[in-house]
Amino acid sequence: MKYIVMECHLSYAVVLNEEGCFLKVANRHYEVGQTVTDIIEMQVPPSVSQKKKTNKWVYSLVAMVACLILMVTSMFQMGQMTYASVYMTINPEVRIDVNRNDVVVKLDGINSDGDDLIAGYEYKKKDLDLVMDELVARAIDMGYLYEGGQISLVLDADSDEWVNIHSDTLATQLNEHLNEKLSVTIEVTDMKEQGNKVVLPVTPKEGDYGESDYEDTNKATAPPASPQPAESDYGDSSYDDGQTDYDESDDMDDSQSDYKTEDSQSDYEDFVTGQSDYGSDYIDNDDSQSDYGEDEKSDYDDYSDYDDD
Amino acid sequence: MKSEHQIIKAVYAAKENIHKADELIRDYIPFIRSEASKCIQKLCTEQDDEFSIAMIAFHEAVMGYERTRGTFLSYAAMLIRSRIIDFQRKENRHQGNISLYTETGEDDHTLMDELADDRDQFDESANLEAVKQEIEELSSVMADFGVSFSDVADNSPKQERTMEACASTIRYAAENKYLLDELLRTKKLPMAQLVLGSGAERKTLERHRKYILAMLLIQTNGYEIIRGHLRHVLKRKGGSLR
Repeated sequence: MKYIVMECHLSYAVVLNEEGCFLKVANRHYEVGQTVTDIIEMQVPPSVSQKKKTNKWVYSLVAMVACLILMVTSMFQMGQMTYASVYMTINPEVRIDVNRNDVVVKLDGINSDGDDLIAGYEYKKKDLDLVMDELVARAIDMGYLYEGGQISLVLDADSDEWVNIHSDTLATQLNEHLNEKLSVTIEVTDMKEQGNKVVLPVTPKEGDYGESDYEDTNKATAPPASPQPAESDYGDSSYDDGQTDYDESDDMDDSQSDYKTEDSQSDYEDFVTGQSDYGSDYIDNDDSQSDYGEDEKSDYDDYSDYDDD
Repeated sequence: MKSEHQIIKAVYAAKENIHKADELIRDYIPFIRSEASKCIQKLCTEQDDEFSIAMIAFHEAVMGYERTRGTFLSYAAMLIRSRIIDFQRKENRHQGNISLYTETGEDDHTLMDELADDRDQFDESANLEAVKQEIEELSSVMADFGVSFSDVADNSPKQERTMEACASTIRYAAENKYLLDELLRTKKLPMAQLVLGSGAERKTLERHRKYILAMLLIQTNGYEIIRGHLRHVLKRKGGSLR
């Protein structure tokens, strides 16, 4: 290819090729009119054009929108997500799953009576309190709950705060609801700290006494709570980790056995009565420790039962 | 910091104005030379090809610089280095060949002198003079239209299809001389007629307005040599079309 040099500048020359193209090339000491064959064309680096910039904007915008959608949907999901569960055992045992706002998202029967209890019950978008009230009412209607009966609530949540708040309010609320109808025992238990059991004996007929009892129970909630960590500490220091795990499983069994046996209840009543002098709490604790031993024994029995199976 | 700001300002001014670009480059010739010398690892004189390449690389840097690309001088240095490396690679391909200017050992004679010269030196230089005159004349006519060769070079079509469209327009104008006369008389491109006659898209032609103007001016009387340089291409393409 031949090129005619058309114009010379300090840094470049303009040449005309045979196809009629004007090119800017390196000026290798050319002069105007000269015919050259070997050129070094100028290549201006393509600018980071406006178009590309807007593209970048678009990308970030799209990413932002995607993030937003993700957030919104996840928030929506969170509304449907189980935040905490309440296991309500009368005899029918049901699990009530609630979301962060205490709206029931799922209702499950754990035993067959529980299935019966919730059969045909519409729980959607109802508050936990309402659902519990209505379920208890249903239980009364269906004859599961009777005068002097017992309701045990097991609270299961990741946040201790939720458990702390609801262990009080749920019982209070349920009591108020049942005030006129029946006298039942309500037992509130935290899933994690099975040791932290509170049994609320309700005597609705003597309202004043009941209320004072309430306060007592609230107090009663506190003292076992304070020795409880001490106990767990004790467990940590004295027992191996594996053993503490074992302890927990013990506790599970413990609680279950407690639900069924009347003895534990009477124990707790003892506890409440002996609560006036706090000093005896520690003695009680000692008692409970000795109880542990018994529990373990019974557990071993359980295990042996399993082995038999 | 302040001087940096100044040079960036100067670069941005040079992008717009070709004279300012020339000025900027003239100011930075020592820088360009030093960068080129660093790259070829010997002193770079203004006669070296590398120097020319460094110059055009610097020009590219001026045209292509953007604030997002960092410091101007380091950007320019990078561009100069890469262009020179490109050039050296290209040259290395010819390494096996000997230059026409290598001396044959007899006196000051070079290989070039030994080869049979079928061209007439005197004719050549007379020819060069004629070409020069033509170009100067064309340049002055184009100046009347406010267009320089640099503008045309920036405005040249690059894509084959666009080039074909422009070529067909130019051919059409060359066949209809009255269009060229009209161009000279009115100092305006008869765009409507060109579009109508050539069948090219108006948008394409508008985009390469300066280029088409230059090519049409070349088709007017008096630029025989340049036309000769272009002619066979235009004709061949015309032939292929028909």
